[in-house]
Amino acid sequence: MSKPSPDVYEQGKGMDAHNSVMRGIRARKDETYDPREPTRVWLDEDNTPSGVYDSLTIILNTGGCRWARAGGCTMCGYVAESVEGGSVSHEDLMAQIDACLDHEAENAEEPAGLIKIYTSGSFLDEREVPAETRQAIAETFADRDRIVVESLPDFVEQPKIEDFTTQGLETDIAVGLETATDRVRKDCVNKYFEFAEFERAAADAREVGAGVKAYLLMKPPFLSESEATTDMKRSVRKCADVEGCHTVSMNPCNVQRHTMVEDLYHGDGYRPPWLWSVAEVLESTADEDIIVVSDPVGHGSDRGAHNCGECDDRVQRAIKDFDLRQDPSVFEQVSCDCERTWEAVTEREKSYSMPLAR
Amino acid sequence: MTDYFEVHDRDGAARVGELRLSDSLRTPAVSDDVLSDAGSLWPADRDVPEGDESALTVLPHRAFPGGTADEVQEAFAVDYPDVDYPSAAVVSPDTAADATDANADAYVLSNAQAIAGHAQAFVAAVVRTREAIPPDTALYLPGVATPANAATLAYAGIDLVDTDRAVVKGTQGKYLTTDGEQFLEDLEELPCACPACQRSIKEFDRGDCVDHNVNALRAALGTVRQRIRRGRLRDYIEGQARHEQWLTAVFRRLDQQYSYLEQRTPVLRRAEITSATEDAMRRVEIQRFAERVTQRYRCRFDNPLVIVPCSAAKPYSESQSHGQYHDAIQFRGHTLSMTSPIGVVPQELELTYPAQHYDSVVTGHWSATEKEFVADVLEAYLQRNDYPRVIAHVPGEGYRDICERVEDSLGLDFEYTVEDHPTTTESLANLASTLSDELKYGKRERQHNTLRAVADYQFGEGAGDALFEDLQIGSRYPKLRALDGDGEQLATLVAQYGVLSLTLAGARRWVESDAPTKRVEIDNFVPHGSVLAPGIVDASEDIRVGDEVVIEGPQAFAVGRAAMSGPEMVRSSRGIASSVRHVEER
Repeated sequence: MSKPSPDVYEQGKGMDAHNSVMRGIRARKDETYDPREPTRVWLDEDNTPSGVYDSLTIILNTGGCRWARAGGCTMCGYVAESVEGGSVSHEDLMAQIDACLDHEAENAEEPAGLIKIYTSGSFLDEREVPAETRQAIAETFADRDRIVVESLPDFVEQPKIEDFTTQGLETDIAVGLETATDRVRKDCVNKYFEFAEFERAAADAREVGAGVKAYLLMKPPFLSESEATTDMKRSVRKCADVEGCHTVSMNPCNVQRHTMVEDLYHGDGYRPPWLWSVAEVLESTADEDIIVVSDPVGHGSDRGAHNCGECDDRVQRAIKDFDLRQDPSVFEQVSCDCERTWEAVTEREKSYSMPLAR
Repeated sequence: MTDYFEVHDRDGAARVGELRLSDSLRTPAVSDDVLSDAGSLWPADRDVPEGDESALTVLPHRAFPGGTADEVQEAFAVDYPDVDYPSAAVVSPDTAADATDANADAYVLSNAQAIAGHAQAFVAAVVRTREAIPPDTALYLPGVATPANAATLAYAGIDLVDTDRAVVKGTQGKYLTTDGEQFLEDLEELPCACPACQRSIKEFDRGDCVDHNVNALRAALGTVRQRIRRGRLRDYIEGQARHEQWLTAVFRRLDQQYSYLEQRTPVLRRAEITSATEDAMRRVEIQRFAERVTQRYRCRFDNPLVIVPCSAAKPYSESQSHGQYHDAIQFRGHTLSMTSPIGVVPQELELTYPAQHYDSVVTGHWSATEKEFVADVLEAYLQRNDYPRVIAHVPGEGYRDICERVEDSLGLDFEYTVEDHPTTTESLANLASTLSDELKYGKRERQHNTLRAVADYQFGEGAGDALFEDLQIGSRYPKLRALDGDGEQLATLVAQYGVLSLTLAGARRWVESDAPTKRVEIDNFVPHGSVLAPGIVDASEDIRVGDEVVIEGPQAFAVGRAAMSGPEMVRSSRGIASSVRHVEER
């Protein structure tokens, strides 16, 4: 009797395959983008350790994620927002920031207390955002209360964080942890870092008075509905135990263009999670000493987290309500016939019989 | 070595098998109660479970759902452990061939959701997987079975399913039957007598619908198993699969996978073939008969050919109409019956499967496809066999069109003898007078030609002459016995199937002759009654269920009838491979 081979891990064979396939998939897209325009910008409200704030969210176009160039994460299509040539200059990045401030001035009554900056990569990677630009952006938003910047944990270094904290900003680093399970992060998501690196980044951030917000991905490819739910519950609890990690944003995987997930979806081998599963994770981890929020992108559509089509908006509203109040009783207010189907799927679906229902 | 799955009955690619657990399970069946999943290796490392004989253990797996890139499948493929309890390996059509080293008893196809509903993809995936895994292993298609598709899944070669889709559909308020699905709210009454349906439609909720769907699936599988045992699944499929287009497309596409089906289709059966649809023409049995009649058979008579219409009664010679033709022909012509869907049947082969085993729907109307098929067969037949005259004693509609088409195509002139109807006094008199100057052939010639024709059909072109050089006849038609010049018996014509069963002397002649011998090479033992698959060293690729086979080993020389195809004999480790009729120790 032999055991299943651990070869995949020893040789990095799986990651090579994922990267190779992802490079092929990404090569299908041919759009390019204006380096002086942000990828997206919007106004919202967010729950933070110091209460609910109006927020300005900026997706900065930095030329994209370094990891994505190698192939990258199986679900991530944001690399499609790359620019020609691959890098964006300081001047262009600041032009994007100006465009965002204009957007805010036009649409908000007063400046948002919370600024969130994502890059579809790592804001703290100086190949994406030079130190000069980082410092200039910190100065630009010095009058706000809080700032969140996105980064992979390997780029989290205290001096970079201090660019923000010295401006008096309550600073959080948003880390795309995806899952606390190293094996799932590596084999299903194709991310290279380990949970220990996330813990290291959180500890470093905490030492300089900053915090960490973990982004979790619910239902990467190759997991069944119940495996995905179990993975999220466990991940939320593990994040709650990491000092410095005060918030988890637990987001259902959606089907983005030019990704491995999209190929599986088109091949009838992937379905985004049920909104009931999202609710279940939020409800069951509500007792943890950590803020857990979720923002199901494209909810109710085939490409996003969805239920039966009848109840999606109601469940989404309950989730958004939970985000702000952290009160699990919001889920008692919603029900639908399709819960029975979801229960059957949760009980029966195996990774070898996916998806049991659409 | 497969220890826990054995095939008992075969009907084309479909099988009734036995999952030999502590409580054995007859397949095709739902596997819910016997499956034990050791879990996915995607989220966690897993130990190989202890396992035991009460369950089919799905070994720790990394499943590749539909749309998984080849490179990813290669990089993440699992090396399954070879365990000593009943086990199943999760595979995709691409990884199946490499997963067989572990000698699992069953294989789970991981892209079922991607292929169900898509006939082309389904047929490609099932054929590829089935060809890759050993024949005496079960193929489990998870998550897609319904009462409507169960028969077609089994027909394609699936042995195990589950109730998952039936349950999920029930929770969605979809009521499943063998003819499809309906929304519960659209039902005016419950069209079923299962226990779940023993209540009024008003009280019937989705929980009841789940129970009904599961009952309906189990019942559908019961029908399937019984159909397979009777050798009649295809007849059922041709009707039942029509309720869903993709299922009809599946069996039609499988007809295009001729070698897959042909290898698995017996050369003889007790069961009748119902020809109620044009699809029946594309059955292996029909195609194979036409192929052998036009490529192996050769007419040995010097008399004119008389083409007559088939009769409903079989064999034809026992029908009233053929009795009348016979009285008119009086052994002065060689009779060829023209029939849909078989094509043409020379008189010597009237007993030979499926010539006396089919029954078609008679309306007197021939479709264009039927005419084309029969005309093609008749044309090929006449290209191979030269007759001094061709007399067509056929009625107008259909038969006559076909004859005229073939006449034109081959530049022949048929003589037509029917006025109005072939059995009228006038028509029969025409037939008799047309032949009045012809010589009669004798009984001896008739009997010799019959045995040789059957040998050609059964063993290959020219086999009749090779096997029966110095022929004497014993007994009477239809149970003719072939003896050699010294009076030793070589073979008997089995009236039920119209094939020869050989004696040891006959088998020895077959081995020595130029006719291609179907051989089964066995280990060092003397078989009695039957040969089991594990005793087989090698077997001819072209052996089919029902074929005569010569069984040879260091200790024995025997002759019998194959119960498996040649490839199945070689690749199986369980089950009866061949019966043994006569054996001689060496």
